[in-house]
Amino acid sequence: MLLEILKGNDAKILRHDEKVILALVPNDKLRTTAELLFKAGCYYATGVGVDERLLGVGFSMYHIFNCESEKRYVILKAVASNLRIPSITPVISGANWAEREAMDMVGIFFDEHPEPLRLILPDDWPEGIHPLRKEFHYNERPPKVEFKPPKREKKPGVMEVPVGPYHPTLHEPEVFELHVKGEEIVGAVYRGFHVHRGMEKLAEERMTINQIPFLAERICGICGYTHNCAYAQAVEDAAKIEVPERALYIRTILLELERLHSHLLWFGVAFHLLGFDSGFMHTWRIREAFMDLAELLTGNRKTYGMNLIGGVRRDIDEEKKKKVLEILEKTKKETKEVLDNAAGMKELISRMEGIGVLPKNEGREIGVVGPVARASGIDTDVRRDHPYAAYSDLDFKVPVYKEGDVLARFLVRYEETFESFWLIEQALDQLPPGDILNEDYELPEYVVGIGATEAPRGEDVHFVITEGGNKVYRWRPRAPTYNNLPAVPIMLMGEKLADAPIIIASIDPCFSCTDHMVIVDGEKVCRCSLDDYLRGL
Amino acid sequence: MNIIFIAVNLAFALLIAPVIDGFERKIRARLQNRQGPSILQTWWDLIKLLKRPTVEPQGSIKSLYKLAPYITFTAVLTAYLVVPTLLPSSMNFIGDFIVVVYLLGLATLSFVIGAFSSGNPYAQIGSNREVSLFMSEELLLALIVSTIAVIGKSLSFEQLFPLPLRISSALALILLFVVVYVASARLPFDIAEAEPEIIEGPLIEYSGKHLGLLEYSIFLKRLLLYSLLLNFIIPIQNPIRLVCYLIGIVILSVIYSTFEAYYGRFRIDQAVKLMKKLSAVALVVWIIAVVGW
Repeated sequence: MLLEILKGNDAKILRHDEKVILALVPNDKLRTTAELLFKAGCYYATGVGVDERLLGVGFSMYHIFNCESEKRYVILKAVASNLRIPSITPVISGANWAEREAMDMVGIFFDEHPEPLRLILPDDWPEGIHPLRKEFHYNERPPKVEFKPPKREKKPGVMEVPVGPYHPTLHEPEVFELHVKGEEIVGAVYRGFHVHRGMEKLAEERMTINQIPFLAERICGICGYTHNCAYAQAVEDAAKIEVPERALYIRTILLELERLHSHLLWFGVAFHLLGFDSGFMHTWRIREAFMDLAELLTGNRKTYGMNLIGGVRRDIDEEKKKKVLEILEKTKKETKEVLDNAAGMKELISRMEGIGVLPKNEGREIGVVGPVARASGIDTDVRRDHPYAAYSDLDFKVPVYKEGDVLARFLVRYEETFESFWLIEQALDQLPPGDILNEDYELPEYVVGIGATEAPRGEDVHFVITEGGNKVYRWRPRAPTYNNLPAVPIMLMGEKLADAPIIIASIDPCFSCTDHMVIVDGEKVCRCSLDDYLRGL
Repeated sequence: MNIIFIAVNLAFALLIAPVIDGFERKIRARLQNRQGPSILQTWWDLIKLLKRPTVEPQGSIKSLYKLAPYITFTAVLTAYLVVPTLLPSSMNFIGDFIVVVYLLGLATLSFVIGAFSSGNPYAQIGSNREVSLFMSEELLLALIVSTIAVIGKSLSFEQLFPLPLRISSALALILLFVVVYVASARLPFDIAEAEPEIIEGPLIEYSGKHLGLLEYSIFLKRLLLYSLLLNFIIPIQNPIRLVCYLIGIVILSVIYSTFEAYYGRFRIDQAVKLMKKLSAVALVVWIIAVVGW
């Protein structure tokens, strides 16, 4: 099916196996191909702009689609001719951010993009300097450019309420600008990306492939191990490395442990935002048990540091296994007690019911992932659709609700929490004997690899192009929140201001995960133009 | 002598109101299995605030903005002259019940006007909520006042403390118990100050001395409402009234803070709806009182 679509559009298949189809699509056919893929049930995962001039190709853009029906990722590669590639945002709105990011960081111009504004770079960044081009070094500091934000008009009767950059609701800096009439939200503008750390550049220039897992783990303070796993899987996929089965099981256990602590953290935050502080304190008390478990298994409470390419660093012995099962049994009871108490509280439920609704088709178009998608009736789960680690041997249910409101997202996470307990127990019981690390591999040159995991917040995709000699040529992590955030303004429209915090929190946003930076001020910011790009060459 | 006793009452209120808040914080902390701060913590916070300089926001109407905290504080303090707290003596005149209700209204009003004059969008939203809650609560309070007046056949506290034991008086006191809870801006009714939503709403721009005074007013208002409720129950000429009064304060604190620990926050429309329902109930209670049960 997918192959027919690609071949029908003159695509050149570069790689075809059970995980990935990589196809080079001619620029004039790119938009129709993307549209056909979307109609065939694939959603837009992310896009990666790459500077391939060293490979004699020029600049290229990889559009990555997640096709659950065929259990594959389809990657469309387009090569820029004279720095121009047709934009696919007019047909798939989910590609908006990815394309704008490529405009900023690599300097490819997308024809007919509906809003070619800066997304990543701050407004005082000089024109024509693109950080992810190979001639730009990670320690360069270009001079600031004077920038005056344009004046904005005020609409009568509408009050602008800035939620952020510093606001008690948000744990990280970003801005939701809410336009409020009385108590009702009539418009919402999101501006984010204040916490850019330039990790992609660091990884390309300074690090070896086995150092990047430790950097990847520091992308996020909550779901770091997931990024770590996704990166390791991407390199293993590119180099075709066999990972020992025991290592896969250990990864599974840790991934689920991380999901448990992340979900409990979210419950606590949600309770706090609804003013139910007792629930917040109790969930965080229980969460402490998982932190202790992580410490027991890995030596660290949060940043596990367990993965290397080809396996894991520490083993789980019998004694630890017994202890983990013991603690799990105890915390399972406590978790159930607290969460059931909360779910039985009428006023808490009534604060979540029917607000922040995300319709299924809009969610699909944006490409939302994880609990947000599952609460809107989109049956997607990377663990089931693209099995990785040991998930193919284990049995678990994927909860799906069709209401699409905050309560549905709450219930999805509630069910997932108990599925995670069940998964850890299974994985510990079935732990196979054997090695935990395979170090016998060769790194090929310039091969594309893709690794995806189901983070607590949704699908987490890492894209890697290897570069022999123990380095990567391009590494692009795409955190789940990157796909979920564009849906928040849709959820906020027409709701009460009092519900804004819980709606924003209901996607479980992780802003440092999204890992970029933009400072947008005013309606019109720096517009990207092709002339400036050509001047920069 | 009476003057001295009233002064003692005032001093008691000024000293003890923050301590009661500290006590409630401690109870809440224990319920959430935390250690909690010391009972005197609220006092330390207030002292620190009162020592700090104040800042007026640029877009504010400065005179109103600065005046509001003092008016609020004075209004609440004046009410203490009329309502007996520790010792059973106060200024008595006909209609002092109405005066107390109005003084509490004045405190809320000046608080809201001060917040509005700060020009901050959050403060304006918070004030909007404060006003709508106050309005819905006021109707309920009016009905309760008239019920109590019908039962005691008077509008001055001298004839009303304590209320005779009847069906209608018991019901009226239960409703008053609820109103006290709502008026003291606790969860689920701290909608105006909702910290995660609108960052303490009306208080957002206030700082230093002004903020200290406003917080102090809130604690004093709570203690005043407690005293009002207890005075309707405890016989005023009872020799052991003082002991009963103190025990009553502790019991009320425990009940209220337990409630507070186990509730989430209401949305303003939910709260207003609840107040409307309670007002209907209060009307029925008034009818019962008129009938003479």
